[in-house]
Amino acid sequence: MSSNGQSDIALLMRGLREPLSIDEARWERLLRIARASGLHARLAAANLDKATTTDVVRRHLLSSARIAAYRAQMVRAELFHLTPLVTDDFPVIVLKGGAYILQGRALAEGRFVSDVDLLVPNAHLRAMESRLRAAGWQPEKLDPYDERYYRDWSHETPPMRFPGHSLEVDLHHAITPVTGSLAFDPASLFARSEPIPGTPFRALCAEDQVLHACLHCFHDGELDLRVREVVDIDGLLRTFAARGGFWDRLLARAAELGLQRPLWYGLHFARNWLDCPVPSAVPDALPAPHTLSRAAMDALVPLAMLPPDPDFPPSLHVRVARTLMRTRYHLLRMPLQLLVPHLARKTLRRLKARLDRRAEAPTEDGAP
Amino acid sequence: MSSSPYRLLDVGAAQLAVASEIESFHAHLDLVYPHHEAGADGVFADVRVRLLPGSRFRLRGRQVALWADGLRPFEPYPYDCALPLFEWGSNYLLSRRLNAYLLLHAGVVARGDRALILPAAPGSGKTTLTCALHLAGWRFLSDEFGVIDMDSGELLPMVRPAPLKNRSIDVIGMRPGAMLGPLFPKTRKGDVSHFVPDRDSFLARHRRATPALVVFPRFQAGAALQCTPVHRAQAAMRIGLNSFNYQALGPLGFQAAVALARRTAAFELVYGDLDDAIAHIETLFGDVS
Repeated sequence: MSSNGQSDIALLMRGLREPLSIDEARWERLLRIARASGLHARLAAANLDKATTTDVVRRHLLSSARIAAYRAQMVRAELFHLTPLVTDDFPVIVLKGGAYILQGRALAEGRFVSDVDLLVPNAHLRAMESRLRAAGWQPEKLDPYDERYYRDWSHETPPMRFPGHSLEVDLHHAITPVTGSLAFDPASLFARSEPIPGTPFRALCAEDQVLHACLHCFHDGELDLRVREVVDIDGLLRTFAARGGFWDRLLARAAELGLQRPLWYGLHFARNWLDCPVPSAVPDALPAPHTLSRAAMDALVPLAMLPPDPDFPPSLHVRVARTLMRTRYHLLRMPLQLLVPHLARKTLRRLKARLDRRAEAPTEDGAP
Repeated sequence: MSSSPYRLLDVGAAQLAVASEIESFHAHLDLVYPHHEAGADGVFADVRVRLLPGSRFRLRGRQVALWADGLRPFEPYPYDCALPLFEWGSNYLLSRRLNAYLLLHAGVVARGDRALILPAAPGSGKTTLTCALHLAGWRFLSDEFGVIDMDSGELLPMVRPAPLKNRSIDVIGMRPGAMLGPLFPKTRKGDVSHFVPDRDSFLARHRRATPALVVFPRFQAGAALQCTPVHRAQAAMRIGLNSFNYQALGPLGFQAAVALARRTAAFELVYGDLDDAIAHIETLFGDVS
């Protein structure tokens, strides 16, 4: 399926779960595709202390594990700084990576988190935003168009950052774009959320965490090299699988929120790629996508999401697949009458930026 | 699609592999890595990159791009600047992957196995001083990375060509024994030419050294030589500041910086004349020996 060797991908997927016994040359190749897809520290989590690796392989695994540990520490620090802003007048939910870390989930080990995502009820979004500003977080400088894009069409506010902190805070009021076809009222997310012990934050309930991961993977952004999102889905499912009644609750919740399609794809790829132990009755209970969509997704998703041959630039197949998946994402995100002007505007601006850059002297940061 | 074979460069603390169909790039590599013999592939490389030529018909001149692991991490360079792109790009990649070590941003030279570490910010004349010391008889370990094994506190050499910039090119080029690669005029960092470390340093690239002295150098045109001892606590913090991964290593980085500051004396050296600086460093080094 992928332009990369099937065996490389299979080995990567296996290496995320169990120690591998392979020679240095294979390790090098594996580390390279893992790095390209942001999975190298996950590989380290499963292999660092267990496998019979040589010194040089160990050094690279150690290096990745250390960076992941540092980044996780930065997430904890950011959430610690945010703690005083969370009072009991409205719930603040930590989404995705931040939650996995605070909840001590196994899948958090070696998982890179790039920002802190918070979900608050829409009615309190402005209040939370002003609290952040009053406490020193500053919004990214945006032009009026981007500002409006975030406010009206997106489900989050422009990213905010405390000066000197390495992570951004994204404030969400929903987990789907408000203009997208999957938009739903997020009220029940709060109603079903769970406290995170020892913190004032809350997390989505288990089923909603899975559904959010599926939504995020297949409906919220580019798919380029994002196999790690499927690894998240797999990790969550493995965490919750043994809980009594989990699968039934998951199916019921997907139906309630209208998220059966993203769930179907999440289960499909988690099973295909990672042998995720999903009882076969679960996907059978979901309405399957049309044969054509399914065939298209089966052809394109692996090309777009899996790391390609590390020795070469991505092949034409891969680039076409990535573009098609990006187009799909935009179409799902907003109706055409909004999308066309939006993309036209973005393209023009990118062209203008390129021309401006040419006019200026090229600059480059000196480091290292 | 091209599939030129990888060329392996063992620089001591790391193994580099690079493939390219660009002939001038290989000619340049031969000039700045003259002691390397062609090694067989199949070895684990810490960094494996491919330098691919851009379109011949680009209006604003042909370019070259560096590809690593299926990604292109940097903007392309002009076609004839493949060597500076490889040197800069592979160093950048190394700086992100060698977190098994404490990585100082420092020049390192040694007398035998006793090392002098020169940690400094970009623009302080670190590379120039490192090359000048090497030409004055010191073993060259690195002009960019102080690679510290945190278990033993020892330094690992990373013997790569040292990129001299602008005026430093003549300053070092005119010294007896200096061997420089081709001149790349008007790159993004000004004129660049690579200084080639000698064969003995290359052959000793797997021989570790023990830290003996830390000097924070700062070149200042016309300044009289001024040398101030740096207190241990200060030195530890400044070592941390001049490191690629001190922060990311957390307590490990802190302990390693403190351990280094404890075992070696540290000085700050402001100088306007290279030979004065070398003479003074010889004296300081003699005192700690």
